[in-house]
Amino acid sequence: MAAAQKQRAERVLSFRMRIGLTLILVMLLLLGGRLFHVQGLDPAGNAEAAVSERLRSVPLPAHRGDILDSQGRVLATSVNRYDLVVDQAVVEDFERSDEATGLREEVTVRTGIAELAEVLDRSTEELTESIVGESRYSVVARSLTPEQSEQAVDIGLPGLYAEPVSQRSYPSGAVAGSIIGFMGADGPLEGIEAAQDEALSGVDGERIYEVGGDGVRIPVATYEELPAEDGQDVRLTIDQDLQWFAQESIAKKSNQYNAAWGNATVLDLTTGEILAMADSETVDPAEPGETEELFRRPLALTQDFEPGSTGKAITFAMALEEGTLNPTDGFTVDNRYEVDGQTISDATRHPTLDMTAAGIFARSYNTGTVMIGGEIPEETRYDYMRRVGLGEPLDIGLGTEANSVLRPPEEWDARQHLTTQFGQGYTTSVLHSLQAFQTMTNGGVDVPLRLIDAYVDADGTEHPVETEPGERVFSEETSEEMLRMFEGVVDYGTGSEAAVSGYRVGGKSGIAEAAGAGGGFDGHTQSFIGMAPLDDPQYLVSVTVHRPQGYWRDWEVTDTFREIMSYVLSSYDEAPSGAKSEAYDGFEGENQDQPW
Amino acid sequence: MSAEAQPLAPAPRGPLARSRVLPEGDDAGSARTSPMLRALPKLRQRQKGLIGGIIALLALALTVVLAVNIHMANSQYTVVELQNQHLALVQSNQALTEEVQHLQSPQSLSNAAVGLGMVMPAEAAALELSDGEVVGTAEAADSGDRPSSFVAAPAVPGGDAAAPLNVSESVTGAPSGILGAGALNTLIETPSGQNGQETSAGTQDQFSPTELNGGTIPAPSFD
Repeated sequence: MAAAQKQRAERVLSFRMRIGLTLILVMLLLLGGRLFHVQGLDPAGNAEAAVSERLRSVPLPAHRGDILDSQGRVLATSVNRYDLVVDQAVVEDFERSDEATGLREEVTVRTGIAELAEVLDRSTEELTESIVGESRYSVVARSLTPEQSEQAVDIGLPGLYAEPVSQRSYPSGAVAGSIIGFMGADGPLEGIEAAQDEALSGVDGERIYEVGGDGVRIPVATYEELPAEDGQDVRLTIDQDLQWFAQESIAKKSNQYNAAWGNATVLDLTTGEILAMADSETVDPAEPGETEELFRRPLALTQDFEPGSTGKAITFAMALEEGTLNPTDGFTVDNRYEVDGQTISDATRHPTLDMTAAGIFARSYNTGTVMIGGEIPEETRYDYMRRVGLGEPLDIGLGTEANSVLRPPEEWDARQHLTTQFGQGYTTSVLHSLQAFQTMTNGGVDVPLRLIDAYVDADGTEHPVETEPGERVFSEETSEEMLRMFEGVVDYGTGSEAAVSGYRVGGKSGIAEAAGAGGGFDGHTQSFIGMAPLDDPQYLVSVTVHRPQGYWRDWEVTDTFREIMSYVLSSYDEAPSGAKSEAYDGFEGENQDQPW
Repeated sequence: MSAEAQPLAPAPRGPLARSRVLPEGDDAGSARTSPMLRALPKLRQRQKGLIGGIIALLALALTVVLAVNIHMANSQYTVVELQNQHLALVQSNQALTEEVQHLQSPQSLSNAAVGLGMVMPAEAAALELSDGEVVGTAEAADSGDRPSSFVAAPAVPGGDAAAPLNVSESVTGAPSGILGAGALNTLIETPSGQNGQETSAGTQDQFSPTELNGGTIPAPSFD
């Protein structure tokens, strides 16, 4: 009986339990299904949305490399700046605690703007315009220093925040500006900045992590970091101080004659390194728009002109090399000379003189030069001119190639076979002329000019630019004879102002007629290229002034040469030798003091 | 063990070995229940300890996890704080570097030199140590030959932040025909040094000829 009751009770219980169990199971199934629906299937993409809500991806911008001078001084670098931006919809009166009393104080938008105006040194009207409105994004100020932006944000105006931006800074301003180049809004535009952009810019990285509601990173969640590869520094062969000095000197000279432009370039003739490339006016990379377009790129590259008498040096060097001339060979030189039906005349009406070849070179007589050059066939002359680099583009890694126009002899007109001997009828850039002079003074070996010394990795590893071995054009003997001829120019010829006390200095002057836009000549180019010390030539300095105003006999660029060369010799610790001149006699016979 | 068991009985091997040995020690019925009763409390005690241990272990684990989490969260804040500090230091370092680079620029140096009364050098001579010969001819520098300033001075880092010199005021009173930043420099910077006569009209400290003793700055004295 009791057992049956108990049995029934157990059955009821078990029945109820089953119902309960079933209910629980059903609910569990429902919940499980829902869980699977939400978590497993996730049709609304909630999980993804949540992850992307938490996930922050911050680009790690690569640091743009610096541009350095030969001594490692910074010519261009990148600095952190901030753009001050406001979300105008959020701007309203606000509260902040007073620093002195620690009490809360009410601040109106007007007061906030007034304080901001003081920090930014701008007018309140101007600021009100950019802060008050409906726009969600309005730029209030650009390129603030970290200090300024911190002061501005500290005012506490709601909606005002600072956005970091990287800006290029040029600590020396316009010094070497045309070489460094400049950046536009979308990237580099000119100079080293543009030509070496690949090395400078590096590769951006990225950092991915999850943040909580308070914006702080969740420590155990996803964290990935792809480090940025910083750009390389580019070290130039330019010497900042020398560059500045040359820029001042040539600007002074150019200003004196009110010339279209002037250029002074300094070269280490043994290595081909360009130490300075100075123009009469130079772009400030920070404000490129304020400089005329002509001066935004190096004139030594962009301007080609007829070199004039400096070109005679090549004619004399090839005559020495070919053996058709000795420096002391005698010539009878009148101020006019007729050859092949063409009349060649000298700049001055000098009497007929019995001169040596060195004398003709020193006084830069066209007539004598044509007598000497005429001994060499046209083809051979053309060949030598090509071998010293004329007539082909010259690239020093600046993106722009220097041009030189030299037609082959077949295309020469009736006069060109004569004019090419004294530097007319073809064009050269300053760098082309320097390359030719470099070959003549460096023992006859042509070493390619270069501007980029090395690439420096972010960790300091240096990658020097490979230098091509030089190519011999003239014999060492020819080069030595040429040096003594150059010395004659400074000793008793057209370049006497170029002498630097204590040193043996040589060079060659040149006045060329400059071709005008409408054909014919309507101006001049005055130049001097010189080298020192002649005992062991190290430096070449070229000074060029294009279209100076006034009378040609008054123009003098040798003083600028002397200024720059003195600076170069003393700053590069070149001891004065005081050695005597080894120039050849200019005239036959005892009397070396002949009228011009 | 096996050496002692051998004399009692031929030792049976395997699982039966134990059950056979046990009844030999005690009486059959009572002896069977008492060891089981004795065993239970032991077992229960052991269980208690185990549960306590597990709870303690759990609590410990929880505490450790909590502590680690708190520490990590706190460190995260420290990281943020240190990062901010790092940024501030980087920025102030950069600002100072910029200032140094600005002051190192040739234009700034030239201006500073002019401010100190320095002029362009004239030709210098050198003394050859080997034979005592003087090479070149030395000349006195021209006191009026200041470096030119055709190349504009670079912008001051930070732009408007630094108080700009009010140049226009100096220009108003200046003689006409003065142009360029170089001339302005002479106006702004009261020349000192060799140009003693100019200085006497200026606002700088003036020294008596005895103090100067032929030089341009007074010699240090003990009083």
